[in-house]
Amino acid sequence: MLELLAQTGLNAVYAASYISLVAVGLVLIFGVMGVVNFAHGELFMAGAYAIVALYADMHVPFFVAVAIGLVFVGCLGLLMEKALFRPLKDNPLGGLVASIGFLMILQALAVMGFGVRMEHIPPVTQEVIAFSDKVRLPVARLYVIVAALVLLSALWYFLKKTKFGWALRASAQDPEAAALQGISITQTAKIAMFIGAGLAGIAGALTAPLVSVNPHMGHSVIVTAFIVIIVGGVGSLEGAIVASVAYAIVHTFVTTFYDGVLADIVGLCLMLIVLIVKPTGLFGSADRA
Amino acid sequence: MISKFVGSGLSRRTFLKSSAVTALSAGLPGSVFAAGDTIKIGFLAPLTGAVAAWGKPGLDGCEIWAERVNAAGGIKLADGMHKVEFVSYDNEYDPAKARTGATKLIREDGVSFIMMLGGDTWPGVQPVADKTGMLFSTLLPSDLSPDTNTLIAPAEVHPIYNVTGVEWLAENRPELKTAVMCAQDDALGLPSVATYLAAFEAAGIEMLDEPLLFDPATTDFAPVVTRLISKNPDIVCLDTCYSDYVHPIAEQLFQQGFKGQIISCTADFYDQMIAKTSEEFMEGFIFQFPDFDDPALNADNINFSDPNGFYAEFNKRHPGQWGAVSWEYASIMDLWKAAAEKAGSADPDAVTAAMKDGGKGAHAFGDADWWGTELFGIDNALVGDWPVVAIEGGKARIKDFRSIPDWYAKHGDLLIKHMKAYDQMWDQRS
Repeated sequence: MLELLAQTGLNAVYAASYISLVAVGLVLIFGVMGVVNFAHGELFMAGAYAIVALYADMHVPFFVAVAIGLVFVGCLGLLMEKALFRPLKDNPLGGLVASIGFLMILQALAVMGFGVRMEHIPPVTQEVIAFSDKVRLPVARLYVIVAALVLLSALWYFLKKTKFGWALRASAQDPEAAALQGISITQTAKIAMFIGAGLAGIAGALTAPLVSVNPHMGHSVIVTAFIVIIVGGVGSLEGAIVASVAYAIVHTFVTTFYDGVLADIVGLCLMLIVLIVKPTGLFGSADRA
Repeated sequence: MISKFVGSGLSRRTFLKSSAVTALSAGLPGSVFAAGDTIKIGFLAPLTGAVAAWGKPGLDGCEIWAERVNAAGGIKLADGMHKVEFVSYDNEYDPAKARTGATKLIREDGVSFIMMLGGDTWPGVQPVADKTGMLFSTLLPSDLSPDTNTLIAPAEVHPIYNVTGVEWLAENRPELKTAVMCAQDDALGLPSVATYLAAFEAAGIEMLDEPLLFDPATTDFAPVVTRLISKNPDIVCLDTCYSDYVHPIAEQLFQQGFKGQIISCTADFYDQMIAKTSEEFMEGFIFQFPDFDDPALNADNINFSDPNGFYAEFNKRHPGQWGAVSWEYASIMDLWKAAAEKAGSADPDAVTAAMKDGGKGAHAFGDADWWGTELFGIDNALVGDWPVVAIEGGKARIKDFRSIPDWYAKHGDLLIKHMKAYDQMWDQRS
């Protein structure tokens, strides 16, 4: 039983890692832009397809492909900011509707470029860290865990310790006051979109060899991310991380000890309970809700 | 509503006349041809999305079939020869889209026959079938019920053929005594779960745990696999998981150190699974769908025309895309063509009568019986032998052909028991 608990714990750490990367990106975009980016799952998908194109098809080294994927998806974020969200910033629903349209465009482009079938990606490594016969951590999963720790720590440092980060937080808290202080709202929006999209992209890129890559893979990711940011508190980065960990633990343990269908139900119940007890989410504040 | 059309220039009389023509054409689908007219066949299956692997390769196979038939002159009906053409509609494995597609294929394209994957999409199409009398085929006999006598399952007897793999395994690997199973919780997964449970019980193999059901939206299979192998089973059964699930589950089994036997309904693109795991790990993997370059398919009892040539042509046009359904829809067309030529007509009723004449039919894997009243409430499934396939040295090879009716004669009560337990009998499905 101890081994089962340990293996399930490792599975939960991996799940929390990639979920938090996606959710934090989504929260960052919402916090700064005020837009619910429905295309965030497709940015995750775009990161995965970057690995298909670069690593699987063109044999670019995996980590170079991941880095290019991050930049590529970050640039997609910049494109969304300039072409969709900036022109529609005064329309509360405009950005949301535009992101749904962009979601469909990205899916269609993936279908046109790669076809409808899941893509085969050769394993990055088949090495496994074996703590015992029954407790094993594939190194490819360790990459995702380490990347999440490094990137989220770097994001924390950036937001808390750098002028750009302060500007970003100021824009998120009160855009008008930030603008009066000389902070360019457009620039901070660009930075937020690049980082937010890039985090989704790198999550997709790193997990691509571990999941089925197909044009519709973003759907389940965005559903999970929405549950997580609602539980954590819409607009709260800390909340997104804590909720990602909580959701991953609950979902993984319920799947392992009961079944996967029940795990989904329990995940949704978790969201409902939080909404009933604390409608703003675990770390949300009333003015953001 | 009518007044709006009238206001836009369409007269009430014209509207009623065109409605009547539409209704009539829907009621008499594709029944009348002039000599030389092309016969249109509807292909209503998922061509995109997670289930596309069980649609798109089938359409690709049908295109090859049509070229071969047309090159040989076409289909001979009472009024002469007719070319054949496939009209496809991507239902994305969505019931509402499938219903729209069925209506479009019948009313706008004038098809004579519609082939489907079935499963979750069939409830969307059933009202259209009942209303129009169009002949439909499904790969999933679990769609059959006496409510619709124009739905047939002439190629694949999913999930019943899965019993043959378990039966073969029990006879050839008697040291394997315990099993666990996982499946997606949907119309494909659940009847297959019931079938595997019956097959394991019949074979004396103990289930160590309840079947582990997962949401079809699952992407991370590590928790599923951790649970599966936690009780040290001899056999892990992957049920009828889609290839999008079979691959990551197999990879997880490899990474989490499983060293036992794997059995699955399908192993589409198994070369990719070998690449993600190892040839040693995949050695002996049992499933139910052969590559058609298998020498065993050249036997006299096989009714599929030139299987090796078909496989070579398919792989030439679609390298690496061969899958479980690549040949199945084409084999249904073999049966339909023979029946239409026998009836001298493409009329659905005439074709159905000719197809079921004498209660026997030429299934791809040998002559078979129209069967199914006990399980499906109607004898509309063509059931006979089915191959058991194992991966050996990195290549799928047929190990044996097993009779499904023979298994059912001995263990049918078990199958019915488990089907009932999962609410999968025809009179239990909503």
